[in-house]
Amino acid sequence: MGGTLAAIADPAIRAAFRESLLRAADDELVIGHRHSEWTGFGPDIESDVAMSSIAQEEIGHARAFYGQISDGEEGGGDHLAFGRAPAQYLNAILTERENGGWESSILRLVLYERYEAARLQWVSVSGQEPVAGLAKALLREEQYHALFADAWLTRMSRGSDEGHTRVQTALEALWPDALGLFEATEIDAQLLATGILKAGPDAQRQRWEAEVCPVIEACGLIVPASPPRTGGRQGRHTPDFDRLHAHLTEVRRSDPEARW
Amino acid sequence: MGGRGMTTERRAETAAERDAIWERRLDAPHDVWAVFLQARTRDPHVHVGDVHAPDAEMALVVAKENYTRRDPCVNLWVVRADEIHATTASAVHMFDSATDKSYRFGGSYRKQQQVYGSAWRLSHRDEDQ
Repeated sequence: MGGTLAAIADPAIRAAFRESLLRAADDELVIGHRHSEWTGFGPDIESDVAMSSIAQEEIGHARAFYGQISDGEEGGGDHLAFGRAPAQYLNAILTERENGGWESSILRLVLYERYEAARLQWVSVSGQEPVAGLAKALLREEQYHALFADAWLTRMSRGSDEGHTRVQTALEALWPDALGLFEATEIDAQLLATGILKAGPDAQRQRWEAEVCPVIEACGLIVPASPPRTGGRQGRHTPDFDRLHAHLTEVRRSDPEARW
Repeated sequence: MGGRGMTTERRAETAAERDAIWERRLDAPHDVWAVFLQARTRDPHVHVGDVHAPDAEMALVVAKENYTRRDPCVNLWVVRADEIHATTASAVHMFDSATDKSYRFGGSYRKQQQVYGSAWRLSHRDEDQ
């Protein structure tokens, strides 16, 4: 093991930090895969290209994080991305949901990008190099993702009654999953105690709501009061994820020894 | 995307009428935006293609991913294509010369620049940085 993780002396803290980066990588891989399912099916060629590009960037972020934590491990980043059983993936349930309509994917992007930007922000000030520098660089791309998502959300929800109703329905379906991004586990307390993490899940959620809710409310949408749906951070996924996992790992399973 | 539809004639006209018209607005759908890209600071903005979008902000949002993914860019412009005025095809003769004016062409000036290039660059080396 080298790089970022090698610098952490305490094995328990090292494992906790590794797990937090694995979550980030899994979130990015899985949501990137979902975005990529729009390639060829977007509402117009312009947004099809833009969404595909965002998918590519998210998967690029996943690759960078897998690279950080798989240094010296058997199989490297490819094994982490494609070689694990479904219960070993730590992505939040929000990221694995089937796309549904365009409004649903756009809304998920709005909800996820704020979370992702905040996470990259804390990693960038975690004091753990080189991953801190990497996070700072990746942050640049998230700004556009949120811009694209907000532009679409605004137009769909303010455009027509049908659009507004569809976005509100998607919001009610996805809100509990979005809160599941902040599922608290043991590692959060450990990282908080060491100062690597500056804010725990509850504080992170409050900050996130302060950013996301004004965007949603400005569209005339009502933020649901539903409780979080958790499990993803502990590897408990939905049937949506099993199908995604089967698809995602199909090529690698066909010949696990192949060199790409 | 693409440049289709931007130069289509508006209605049937007589040949004489058509010849008399030397400029007109581009006959593009209202949701077509022409995209101009500036590759580096101080470069001109160059028309690189079009996008469909309901408004300017959305046009910039999608233009960014569609036209700056593979090439350098520091600035984008979008303009409704139907706001662009253009000379018509029948006015093309306007650009022809009746007499030899090749002395005006930039090429000869550029040849001079090649000859005096190194001296010019030396005298402008501060601005050139």
